[in-house]
Amino acid sequence: MTDSPRLPRSKFRASLRDRWNEAHDFDPADPLVGLSRHDLSGPVIERRTVLRLLAASGVLTAAHLLPGVGVRPARAAAGGTLRAGWAAVGEFRTIDPAQINQVLLFQISSNVLSGLTHINPQLQAEGDLAVDWTVDDTGTQYTFNLREGVTFHNGDPFTADDVIFTYERSSDPDQSIHSRVLANVAGIEKLGSHKVRFSLKAPQASFLVKTLERSSGRAMTIVSRGALASMGASDYGLRAVGTGPFRVTDHKLGQSMTLERFENYYDPERPKLDKIVITPIIDPEPLAAAIEAGDIHIIGGNPVAPELVDRFEANPDLNVSTVPAPGFQGVFLNPWRDPMQVSDFSKPIEELKREPGFMVRLAIAKAIDRDLYIRQAQFGRGTPAYGTINPAMGFYFDDTLGETSEQAFDMEAARKLLADAGFPNGDGFPTLKILCTPAARRDCLVIKNLLKKSIGIDIELDTKDFPVLLDEFQTMNFDLCRLGSGGDFDPDDGLVDWVQTESKFNGRKRNKDEMPFGLFSDPEVDDLVARQSATADVEARRTLVQKANRITSDKVAQAFLFHPADVQVTRKEVDFPVKSRIPGLVDMDRVTLSG
Amino acid sequence: MTGYLLRRCLGAVVVMWAVATLVFFMLRIVPGDPLSAMLFDAADPAAADELRIKFGLDQPLPVQYAKWFWLVLQGDLGNSIYGSRIPVSQILIEAAPRTFSLAVLAFVVSVLIAIPAGLISALKRGQPIDHGVTFIAFLGLSMPDFWLGILLIILFAASLGWLPAIGYEPLSNGFWPWLSHLILPAIAAGTAFSAIIARMVRSSMLEVLKTDYVRVAAARGLTPWRVVMGYAFPNALIPVITVMGIAFGLLMAAAVVVETVFAIKGLGRILIEGILNRDYPVVQGAILAVSFIFVFVNLLVDVLYVAIDPRIRIE
Repeated sequence: MTDSPRLPRSKFRASLRDRWNEAHDFDPADPLVGLSRHDLSGPVIERRTVLRLLAASGVLTAAHLLPGVGVRPARAAAGGTLRAGWAAVGEFRTIDPAQINQVLLFQISSNVLSGLTHINPQLQAEGDLAVDWTVDDTGTQYTFNLREGVTFHNGDPFTADDVIFTYERSSDPDQSIHSRVLANVAGIEKLGSHKVRFSLKAPQASFLVKTLERSSGRAMTIVSRGALASMGASDYGLRAVGTGPFRVTDHKLGQSMTLERFENYYDPERPKLDKIVITPIIDPEPLAAAIEAGDIHIIGGNPVAPELVDRFEANPDLNVSTVPAPGFQGVFLNPWRDPMQVSDFSKPIEELKREPGFMVRLAIAKAIDRDLYIRQAQFGRGTPAYGTINPAMGFYFDDTLGETSEQAFDMEAARKLLADAGFPNGDGFPTLKILCTPAARRDCLVIKNLLKKSIGIDIELDTKDFPVLLDEFQTMNFDLCRLGSGGDFDPDDGLVDWVQTESKFNGRKRNKDEMPFGLFSDPEVDDLVARQSATADVEARRTLVQKANRITSDKVAQAFLFHPADVQVTRKEVDFPVKSRIPGLVDMDRVTLSG
Repeated sequence: MTGYLLRRCLGAVVVMWAVATLVFFMLRIVPGDPLSAMLFDAADPAAADELRIKFGLDQPLPVQYAKWFWLVLQGDLGNSIYGSRIPVSQILIEAAPRTFSLAVLAFVVSVLIAIPAGLISALKRGQPIDHGVTFIAFLGLSMPDFWLGILLIILFAASLGWLPAIGYEPLSNGFWPWLSHLILPAIAAGTAFSAIIARMVRSSMLEVLKTDYVRVAAARGLTPWRVVMGYAFPNALIPVITVMGIAFGLLMAAAVVVETVFAIKGLGRILIEGILNRDYPVVQGAILAVSFIFVFVNLLVDVLYVAIDPRIRIE
């Protein structure tokens, strides 16, 4: 798959130029960048479409144009053992999708288990165990034709009964922590041995990309009935059996997990590798040494420590690929604490801007120079954030928000707002505490320094272990809280989960008598988010998503900081094709090793 | 002797019970909800309520304690409440050989460095070599083990490529794979303890070298080697063994930093991760295991006294 060009040099150059021009031949105002719905849907996306989408998102490079070439043009052959290091984690306590609560775990399960759909690098749904599907006119009936001849790693055949079993298991809160994901599913019907129909209570735009997706979705990642019965849920979590390209052959908890090529995978061309050994490595420095020494070939898991990336880029033995990661990070401001108190976010923005509490919130949000923050805290990697919708979502991302949002950096305006709120030059402003995890201490120190320098206010760090921080965040027991989200592949992840009045991350455990809402509540945003969630038309959905995102930005649902970068580090001998370079994931079914 | 051992064993059980009970209640006083960490992005209230009932976390503390203690008496340490809900005993059984291997090798490293260094330092008291050994001992003592570990990785794994940077291979996979993965962590963990033991050997030897029987031995014309190794050193060993016993216990429990640096999942790391995740059964089980090791090693040291010095009678 990595054939070298065989054309004469001049013709080869011309061919590259043609491909480059063809990829960029679209109207920038066209949301579908000259592609038809047909181009974007179906179980397979053509190379031309991929190049166009890369060009549209501004990440197309000459390397992508090489025939059959992925992210990097290494010559590689099938087979071999890939050794992977998973960053900043001590163990893989489960890869049972029903229990997975971290991106780094579904990065692994995505190599072992399948879903009906799987996202591609453009975060669009492609058929995985579903060959194709149809949606009725109401947008509530999804009928799937399932792939035939598929077997689980234990030899059991995959049928519609497995889809129904997975649905029933995931709907049970006693067996799955993701039962809420299926709340909109009214039922599932078996129409044949390899045909099922889902009935939804209401149309749901994220149904294919989220609910049925094999990696981040988790609720409908297909599990093996037979294996669960014979192994029990506990052992299944350690050695999950699925229909994915690799099967788990060994798992020494906290030490390593070994995946081996599944010979009966439904695509005979995949996987390429014979074996993958994944080792959890907590500390960044040993992780760096391990890949530099060649002990591991690739880094997955939690984001690579930003201070290491320059070092990796300077190493000729390593490849570093950076794409926008699907997530956002920000500083949450408690609207029930002085001096940031806002009791009603539904007021028009101009009215809000006359309230001292809102002035303070806006002053803090405007006083943070995101570019400087990213340089100092993230070593220059990341995208300034002004909303929850991240650039990895491409089509839905609003790149004008940085200039037009009320949160856009403006030190003078921030000072004036603070003075108008009664705190000229920060005088008399109480010392606020910012809640952060030990891992985010540097980030919080940078925020503290930026706010002191720009508007003269003092912030004190309040470092807590993650479970404690999460508890205080959900009970609204904080002034400021540095937190964010990852694995946001669909607008629902950024909006439904965070900015609706009833969102799961909106002060769910607060005292509702004292705090009628959590972090943010605006009926208009609630309505927009609900509507976008139920809108199948992508252009109409984008309008709703961007409008909701803008309001939450303008009304300072939080002071947004940055969208992280997804930095993938591999040794030169690893060929990680562009088709598998899905932000936030480490799908290794197409990966090859050379040498 | 038998009576003494029985009394000590009974005492050990009481100590372990007291430690485990203290940890049980302290864990629950510490803020942080285990289910918050577990559910995180799922955050499904129905799932949280179901799990709270399932793990008995909705019950009053005395009831939780009574149930836990009753199960422990039956040898059931419970299941982890995080992830796959693996039995705690399985987690500990998988981790124990890694920690034990690391502790034994680190102990060997520390003894191999400490005893010659301590002897030389004592025999050459006040001379440049004594000052040199003392200086190196303090250097080893004050050097953080995680820093030494990283230096060793950079030099021997990343730069020279002689040894693996991370991970652990069980002995069943072969002696060299097992040893090669443990050499660097053992040096990192053992260095500080070698400094402590070397200082103890030196001071103990200096004391013994002043005794009459050593002078008599020298006056009888015995070779200095025979005087030192036949008369002085065995008698200087008693306090050294006490320190070595404590050092071994500490190595078993306190190798957490080294385990973290070298990506070895041992008891220490299980304990730390259990605390961070508020995984109560895992923390309780790990504490029980660690306290058992301490108590057992101390008992072993007491028995060793008898074997080394016939003058000591435990009764």
